[in-house]
Amino acid sequence: MKLAFFQGCNIPIRIEQYAVSATAVLERLGVQLEVIDEFTCCGYPVRNVDEKAYIIPSVRNLAIAEKRGLDIMVICNCCFASLQKAKNVMAANQALAAEINGLLAKDGLTYSGRTAVKHFLTVLHEDIGLDSIKKQLGKVVSDLNLSVIHGCHVLRPREVTRFDDSFVPRFTDELLALTGAVSLDWRGKLECCGAALAGLNSELSEALLNEKVDGALAAGAEFIMPVCSYCHLQFDTTQPAIRQPGSGQQVLPVLLLPQLLGLCMGIDEKILGLEQNTTFQPTHLEQLLPRLGPPVEKKKKKQKQKAQA
Amino acid sequence: MNVLVGLSLLVFLAGISYRIYGWVTQTILSPDKAAAPDRVSSALKALFTTLLSAKLVTLITAFFTDVLFQKRLLAKSTLRWITHCLIFFGFIPLLLMHGLGTSFSESMFNDYQSTLQPYLTLRNLFGLMVLAGVCIGLYRRLTDKPQRVKSMASDWVSLALVGAIVVTGMLLESSKISSYSAFQTMAEDYGGITDAEELLPLETYWAAEHGLKSPNVTKPFDPALVEEGREISADTCMECHAPAAGAFVSFPLAKVVGPITASLGDATMVNLLFWLHILCCVGLLAWLPFSKMFHVISAPVSLLINGVMGFKEPGTNPANLVNRRMIGLSACTHCGACSELCSSLTFYESFQNDFILPSEKVQILKKVAAGKAVDQTTLDNLQKGLYICTSCDRCSKVCPSGINLRELFTSSRYQLLNRGVPETSMLSHFSFPLSLARTFVEDHKKALRKLETIFKDSFTKLKDLTTITIADPARVGTDSYQSCYSCQRCTNICPVVRLYDDPVEKLDMLPHQIIFSLGIGNKDIAVGSKMIWSCSTCYLCQEHCPNQVELTDIFYNLKNEALRRIEGGRA
Repeated sequence: MKLAFFQGCNIPIRIEQYAVSATAVLERLGVQLEVIDEFTCCGYPVRNVDEKAYIIPSVRNLAIAEKRGLDIMVICNCCFASLQKAKNVMAANQALAAEINGLLAKDGLTYSGRTAVKHFLTVLHEDIGLDSIKKQLGKVVSDLNLSVIHGCHVLRPREVTRFDDSFVPRFTDELLALTGAVSLDWRGKLECCGAALAGLNSELSEALLNEKVDGALAAGAEFIMPVCSYCHLQFDTTQPAIRQPGSGQQVLPVLLLPQLLGLCMGIDEKILGLEQNTTFQPTHLEQLLPRLGPPVEKKKKKQKQKAQA
Repeated sequence: MNVLVGLSLLVFLAGISYRIYGWVTQTILSPDKAAAPDRVSSALKALFTTLLSAKLVTLITAFFTDVLFQKRLLAKSTLRWITHCLIFFGFIPLLLMHGLGTSFSESMFNDYQSTLQPYLTLRNLFGLMVLAGVCIGLYRRLTDKPQRVKSMASDWVSLALVGAIVVTGMLLESSKISSYSAFQTMAEDYGGITDAEELLPLETYWAAEHGLKSPNVTKPFDPALVEEGREISADTCMECHAPAAGAFVSFPLAKVVGPITASLGDATMVNLLFWLHILCCVGLLAWLPFSKMFHVISAPVSLLINGVMGFKEPGTNPANLVNRRMIGLSACTHCGACSELCSSLTFYESFQNDFILPSEKVQILKKVAAGKAVDQTTLDNLQKGLYICTSCDRCSKVCPSGINLRELFTSSRYQLLNRGVPETSMLSHFSFPLSLARTFVEDHKKALRKLETIFKDSFTKLKDLTTITIADPARVGTDSYQSCYSCQRCTNICPVVRLYDDPVEKLDMLPHQIIFSLGIGNKDIAVGSKMIWSCSTCYLCQEHCPNQVELTDIFYNLKNEALRRIEGGRA
């Protein structure tokens, strides 16, 4: 399977490790990713200012992928929602669709809606499937409690994102279960990281972030696992800046899903870029690596079989 | 001629000095001219620190890979790299070997004669390289230029001047090859041949084999005379003059040029072409410091700084930060590589603002830095253009001149905001990466407060209402709000409302109140409420609404309207 990898603006320059680790993991699972230079911003940043200006870039990006005959894979939730929203609008509003197609014609592009938009989690869970992934996991991790924060724009509004179940999402938990890690049930799991308010009302943005960090810590999380790139930047860049040493506030380190999957697949931790997460210290790696081991499930079965015999 | 060359050299040197002076004195709208001594000393200190540290190795590597080999350009586009290489590696040898007259060549090669091989052929080769490069450049500007980037007059002039130098040079050479008067002078001055008996065979031979257009001998040439001439030539000419066919461009060209110049008077034409060629050369020399061609000096400096510093960690010395910005501005060649990759490219379609494109931002910033008059409307557009930026840094990564566009644009953005003209685009997620970087924190807050004041002055608040009136339902892009039955689920689930002890005070209105106000047709108080700007856009309210009211989408619609009204009020 080959997909156009839509990285958005944040990942290539600020969270390269997310793209690299996801690419490495998907390669093991037989998925090829093509990075397309012509992709531009998804439009999300301008949504407060002008709804139409928000839609046009995503339509153009979809048309670029369409021209190459590829479906799009996205990691960033905000990019994902923008692309899905654009598909919705283009299907629902014929007049606007014609107008935007007129604009695209200037660049020799057309939008017909053929290109599908898939979130990274969907590619893993639906396209590849849990069984195939499981076969690739040579190791699993034990005693690891994580707080997943899904981020808002992959889940809601469900009519637009059409992803998993917006009230009880199970993709991430089921994928994490494969690695042996425990995805904690905690209050902020489906809530907002505050990124959308950063720079507009930073105080409020940071309050939302702190609420999440405190919530995850209280639930006993060793790491926070953001899905969206905006959440990642909130936890990995803003968090250490506002929870300085000596403030009495603990910093919760970030671990990404493809990084954990990659460790279980035996991919070099340097490639996975664990320490490129600013909150992830060398000590975290030292504590994490010894907990990786071969899956124990088989042994149990054998023991049961022996016992039965 | 010496006067002309001398004058243009003076202009060149004065221009270069003026531009370098600009590196340490110019600013973007920051009136602190007194900082110049500090900027000079900071620059020198940084230079010497680098030269005396291990970074010297990086610097030398950068000189070879970035400056000479143009690694960044190669990464951008092979065609552009070939174009640049053709022009650069054609022009520099021409300048050294030919342009500097005999002073360079004779000291380098002891047998140097412009009419001897391999110099004769090399000159044509280098000229052809430049010409090929210029042609690809012209072709690219005409057909393959970055979309939406406009070519400016100076872009054409630069290419035209370089091309004209080579074209006039080649025409001059071919006119000399064919010129009868040049032949006469050469035969007399260098060969010492005045005798008609010797001159005729020599002339026949040069006309037959070396492109001379003679009024006396024409085809068919007498083979005996040609042979006799060959011998005379071998004895007297060939020591200092290789066969003209070695000038593999000018020689065939002479067959076309010859008859024309001969009919117009070849001595005059040689003279005319000589002066044209000189004029093009001194023209470029004098024009260089004041145009984008100054990049031949500034781009290497910019590339070397970039090679040592990179763009992600621009350093902390404020004086050197300004220096680097100004060097960067002077190093832009308006090649458009940045705009081609700009992530905000598509926003251009919505805002029709040239300054969204990084290459165009730089052009206007150059003017601003040089202290040229730029009207307020243009500055307002520039400010918006600087703000409609995703901070993806692709422009900084790709810039073939190694300009730290990220740093330049971010700092310029706040310099422009300091004029006090409010920027509504600040209330977008373009502010997210700025907030993440934690630079210019106070300037950002100050500009936000400015907007807040405008909001306060522009809209009626709920608490200001004395009576409630009912009007037609508001238009907010959807009618879904009409299904609201005031269960307040939205307000109860809102993570922002939850954060405050006194949410009504802090937010002006709660989510369900906004929906209610739309229902009674009072959109104004909704548009002016702080709630919509405090919405984290988490969509929890919308997802949980039992009646599918699209709250978050409605809030976006209200935000768009609020900004439109404020922009409209300004206009």
